[in-house]
Amino acid sequence: MGASRTEDADSVAARLVNGLSSLRAVLVTGKGGVGKTSVTAALARSLAASGRRVLCGEVAAEAESVSALARALGADRASLEPETVSEGLDLVVLDASSGHRAFLRDVLPMRMIADAAMSSQPIRRFLGAAPSLPEMGVLYRILELLRLKDGNEDRYDTIVVDLPATGHALALAQIPGTLLEILPGGPIVDAVREGLDILSDPKKTGAVVVTLPETLPVSEALELLAGIERHSIPVKGIVLNRMPKNPFSRAELAALSDHAAHLSGVLGTRHVARVGRAHSALDRLQKHGADLLHLPDLDVEHDVVTGLSGHFARRDR
Amino acid sequence: MSKHRPSDFPAPVAVKPTFLANLVATRKVIVVCGAGGVGKTTTSAAIGLAGALAGRKTLVLTIDPARRLAEAMGIPAASREPARLDPKRLPPELAESKGELWAWMLDPAVVFEDLVRNLAESPEKANEILETRLYGHVSKLVAGMQEYTAAEALHSLASSGKYDLVVLDTPPSRNALEFLEAPKKLAGFLDERVVSLFVPKKGGIMWAASSLVSTVFGKIFGAGFFDELKVFIGAFSGMFSAMREHSAEVRALLTSSDSSFILVTSPEPSALAEAHFFQAKMRELGVPLDGSILNRSYAYTRGLVRPETVKVPEGATSALASALHKLAKLADLEVDRAERDRRILAELVSTAGGGFAIATPHLGGAVEDVAGLLALAESLVGPDT
Repeated sequence: MGASRTEDADSVAARLVNGLSSLRAVLVTGKGGVGKTSVTAALARSLAASGRRVLCGEVAAEAESVSALARALGADRASLEPETVSEGLDLVVLDASSGHRAFLRDVLPMRMIADAAMSSQPIRRFLGAAPSLPEMGVLYRILELLRLKDGNEDRYDTIVVDLPATGHALALAQIPGTLLEILPGGPIVDAVREGLDILSDPKKTGAVVVTLPETLPVSEALELLAGIERHSIPVKGIVLNRMPKNPFSRAELAALSDHAAHLSGVLGTRHVARVGRAHSALDRLQKHGADLLHLPDLDVEHDVVTGLSGHFARRDR
Repeated sequence: MSKHRPSDFPAPVAVKPTFLANLVATRKVIVVCGAGGVGKTTTSAAIGLAGALAGRKTLVLTIDPARRLAEAMGIPAASREPARLDPKRLPPELAESKGELWAWMLDPAVVFEDLVRNLAESPEKANEILETRLYGHVSKLVAGMQEYTAAEALHSLASSGKYDLVVLDTPPSRNALEFLEAPKKLAGFLDERVVSLFVPKKGGIMWAASSLVSTVFGKIFGAGFFDELKVFIGAFSGMFSAMREHSAEVRALLTSSDSSFILVTSPEPSALAEAHFFQAKMRELGVPLDGSILNRSYAYTRGLVRPETVKVPEGATSALASALHKLAKLADLEVDRAERDRRILAELVSTAGGGFAIATPHLGGAVEDVAGLLALAESLVGPDT
């Protein structure tokens, strides 16, 4: 299914990756368990393969020895400072603390005071738990990494961020509003405004929402899309992951549905039902209008990321 | 083509299948954890229903139930306290069991407000805190608030003695055990040492640090806001030791033999990787992991038959015959997956160092009604046939 009803998946993939390749920040978001990390890794690899200098980041509190993103990229860990994992592709853990330190160094009159503040346990605790400050730290860290220079050139063209399942794009998008409500003004508000300028600029930032072709995940994805757009973050694409193959003709599907009563408990029919649900998932998401890419349901034993990267990279042929 | 016949299927995989039945009948707290997107919330509801069917007064604490299931079960959306679910909406079997099913969709704002009211020195003091401009933001936005709320609700409800069994559906954190650590984190934020930065005793040990804080926060927040923050935190300061006590009590409850942790996962490699991570983390935290539930797997094959056994009715189109032929290939695939998923189950048991592992039946799509939930509940505690 799909190819006959929509345009060819490869050309959608091509358009999606092309559209992302001029951006500075790609935010990959979605609920847990939808394959978001694999899609992040595959997009980062594809962008790197097209010649962009890519930094791939995941949001966490500290360096991760069990990082799913590192695993997806074939690295054994993710650290607080960028480390190269393959040509043109670096990996980093985006932590709030590094962002806070950078922020304090930028706004306080002396670096010494900033470092003293960051070595004060109570101040660190406060920054780690007060409303929106952790997200603000992550946002500031992203800005800092985007500003890194090698000579006169930006070190990274694009940062691809695997956003956490709970604090998804909305949490980042909500910071400015929240902080503006709480804080009357000052350097935090300025820094956040600068971040928001980048996040809401369709030439610089794009969100990619990943979901599964099942009823509930699609409802949640539609809510997420509406929320992201309400906060004026540009949505660049929707990835419908793990689309089941449909071996049946229309007539065969009709015959199966006519005889559904005889077929309960028959092995193989669960797949047929899944194909049906995937069908309506596709219909619902198509109404949104953003580029909609569906990725095949690769066998779990396969290297999913390599498979997906290949899918994205096919545009070159 | 048909290399498998119905009789070839081994019994559904359940290592010590009656174990969960035993848990829902005896424990006071069952904590359901796992990565996001594995069906944790629905599994929690099914375990709760199983507890009620076992004759116990059972409360399910949930954060974000799937809307349709919540509607089907009659869980009120915004409630200040747990509500008993209308037995008329629940399976008739429940009436015979004399059990009750209660549910509460946790609302961090409500739980936190109750906490303030319970812990404040006086109702006036509570109102004073609740009316500050900053309170509204803190209750919604303190990092880890959902996790904190879950732990706090568990503390007050499990120790209230009103319920025989409390089933906690953990928040969908990246780290599902965050809620165990969240109280510590929040208590850390509201730590006396942090507080003393804002409301220092003159000449006290924090005085020097607090002038650093004044410099730093005055500079980054602006002086007016910093003063507001001082007043706010000062108002809270009396409650912090009680909050820390709660968090210690929750830990004690959860590591006692009254509690059970159950890990939910799916056969997806990413979910399994997280599951193994949880297992290690649970051992580290000294939390009793009693078993695992493998959701959305093909391991459960009870009652399934091959497409070849379907009799093509007379007058059926040729499309049906060819569809059945294709179905047979999909059936082969399912059988292969069933074998793979059984290996996964066995591995879950061995890496947990024992306990039980159960595969839930693949009920197709999401469980969206009470009948589906009952089927799930029965498969979780039912006898292995």
